[in-house]
Order: sequence, then C-alpha cells, then structure tokens
Amino acid sequence: MIVAELAAAELRRRLTGPGLRLRLGPVATEIRSPFAVVASGLALLYAKHEVLGAGDFADFRVAVEPPFGVRRFVAPQALFKFDGNTRFRPLPAAQAFPLLEWGLNWCITMHCHQYLIIHSAVLERNGRALLLPAPPGSGKSTLCAALVARGWRLLSDELALVELDGTRVVPIPRPISLKNRSIDTIARFWPDAAIGDVVPDTLKGSVAHVRPPADSVQRARESAVPAWVVLPRYENGAAMELAALPKCDAFMRLVDSAFNYSVHGRAGFDALAALVDGSDCYAFTYGGALDEAVAAFDRFASS
Amino acid sequence: MNPDPSWRLVAPDALVSRSWDDELVLYNDVTGDTHHLSVLGHAVMTMLASRPSGIALAALVRGIADDAGTSADGELAEVVERTLAHLAELRLATPVSA
Repeated sequence: MIVAELAAAELRRRLTGPGLRLRLGPVATEIRSPFAVVASGLALLYAKHEVLGAGDFADFRVAVEPPFGVRRFVAPQALFKFDGNTRFRPLPAAQAFPLLEWGLNWCITMHCHQYLIIHSAVLERNGRALLLPAPPGSGKSTLCAALVARGWRLLSDELALVELDGTRVVPIPRPISLKNRSIDTIARFWPDAAIGDVVPDTLKGSVAHVRPPADSVQRARESAVPAWVVLPRYENGAAMELAALPKCDAFMRLVDSAFNYSVHGRAGFDALAALVDGSDCYAFTYGGALDEAVAAFDRFASS
Repeated sequence: MNPDPSWRLVAPDALVSRSWDDELVLYNDVTGDTHHLSVLGHAVMTMLASRPSGIALAALVRGIADDAGTSADGELAEVVERTLAHLAELRLATPVSA
C-alpha cells in the first residue's frame, strides 16, 4: 500500500494515533502529528511512498507536536521529537511540515552510519549516479529539480548515502526542498510538478517541497554507481560553464560536505577515494538557464 | 644548530593516501586529519617515506631535483624547507633530532 491509497481520515487516524509508518529508502520511519499541515503535506508529497504495517520495525520514531501549555493557543508552535525526546527549538506551527523534513534529515545524518553521508543531491541515468555536493545557496536543489523534471531519477535531494566501499550510492528519495525564488522558477519549468504549500518566514526564507516522481520512489532499492561529481554554483546571469575539476580538489570538497566523515576515520577516506577514483569531476556554474543546464548534463550522461 | 638537519615522517604507518594528477590527499589516523598536498608536498612526502630513519635536507633537495630533472639550487632548497615546515605544522614530518 502507498500513502495515496490511504483515505484522508485513515491518514489522520494513524498520525494522531499509532503512527504512520513509511518506507524511506533504506529506513523505516514512524511519524505522529496532530497538525493538519503535516497530514496534508504527507498526503501530497509522500503520496507514492510505501506504507508499512503496524507490526513492521521502525528505525526512527518521530513526532511533530505542539508543546504543552499556553503556546497551544497563543502563537502556536511545533516541536520535533525523536523517540519521545524534543530536538531543536520550537518553530511556528505553520512550519510543522518543513520541521518534519529537517528533523528526518537529522535522524538520517545522525544515525545511518552504515553509510558515508554527504550533503549532496544525487541523480541517476543508466545506472550511473551524479552527485551534486554543495552548500546552501548554490542552486543545488533547483538544478536537482530541473534534472528530475527532465527524466533523471531522483536518489536524493539532500543526502548521498554512500556504501563504505565507495562503489554504490543508495537511494533515499524524498521531497525536493526549494527555497525562495527557486519555487517559482521550478513551478514554471516543471508545470506538472506536485509542489506543496509555500511556507514563508522560515530560517531559510520561504520553502516549498516537490513530490519525487513515482518511478524514483518505486526504484528506491536500486542503488547506483558513482560516475560524476559536479560542484554546482548558481550565479545570477552568469554564462554556463562546465569545467574539469582536479580530483584532489573534488575529494576535499566531498570531505567538507560529508556529515559523518570523521565517524568513519580511515574507512571514510577510503570510501571517498574510491568514489572519486570512479567519477569524472567538474565545477559547474550556471546563471539560471535551466534548459541549457539540463542539456549539458544530458550530454555528458550520454557520452 | 645543525646546518643540514634530517627529517622523517612522524607516523608513516598511520598514513593512507591517494594521488591524482601528481597531487596528494592523505589521511592521518593519529590526528584524524585529512590533508591536500601540492605536487611538491607530494614529492617531499614520497622522499621521506622512502627513508624511514630520516633524510638530510640536502639529500632530500637533491633527490627531488633529480626526480624533477632540475638542479638542486638555493631556490629549490628554500621551497623544500618551507614545505617541511608546513608538514611539521601538520604533524606529518619532524626533524629527526626533535
């Protein structure tokens, strides 16, 4: 069963009762929340994800709930809880769905140490994975959404889960997080995209999420071989440029982008070295012409 | 002061490295640090690794010059000395007497 097959009332019952259990790539997550925006967000953005049964094991048990006390009624807030314990400072209740997404990212980066986890979008063509490691503001998610819109398979918008031998990237397809101007940019570029509510005034500005394609979710057990590491950089109005990047430079950028590199020590070094060994590395500057950018990626994917 | 000090790696068994395009990245299991070294840094590390008990600065400069097909002049010696100082700061190399 997938989320889209759950009636709205049943989805709310699970979220406010025993929990909604979802398969998210290699992890199973139990989610509880009384917030209507969380229910509607899950219904739209996780529509194609597999629903697990009440007896299935959950790696993470999370909740997005209002705090006790008067804040339930005055300027209501939302808390993210992991195994019943509050994590992070409360946010306005209107930000409950982005808070769930950020909380799930935290769960994965803090606990899935069977992988080397890199802050990177990952896409796939013909079994080969494209990694787009980049800091916030680099246009990573915009580029990621544009590539998905034109047929690249989404493995992740945010987290590259690299097997410790460095030869496979494991999918964890979840909604693509867009910020500020990129929301309208992708809405125009990908008119059929299922985009959730725009949530203004978050710490990251306005945010909205895009539903991953059904094909990406259904193929979440198909890992891919790292083939390209591309460091994207959005520069308003800049001419597009795809330049070869020395592998040592790419390696060090990946070290900087890895959440748990230090956890793995030598094994982390070996994993990244294998990944870089097997990948062509580039620096990519683009100025917002997404069709031109996608065409450039399509060219080297077919070479 | 010894005018021609010898140098060695601090913990050769703790190092794991990979080279691309003559540059080097390496992980030091003792400090947990990862480093990116230039072509010259790579050459110095390679020379030090080949002489575990230590190598005198003059011999080190000559060896690097020979490998590069250039002359072991004062300018090269100065750059190698600076590189060794940098490697010492990174706790990768140390004077043998230290």
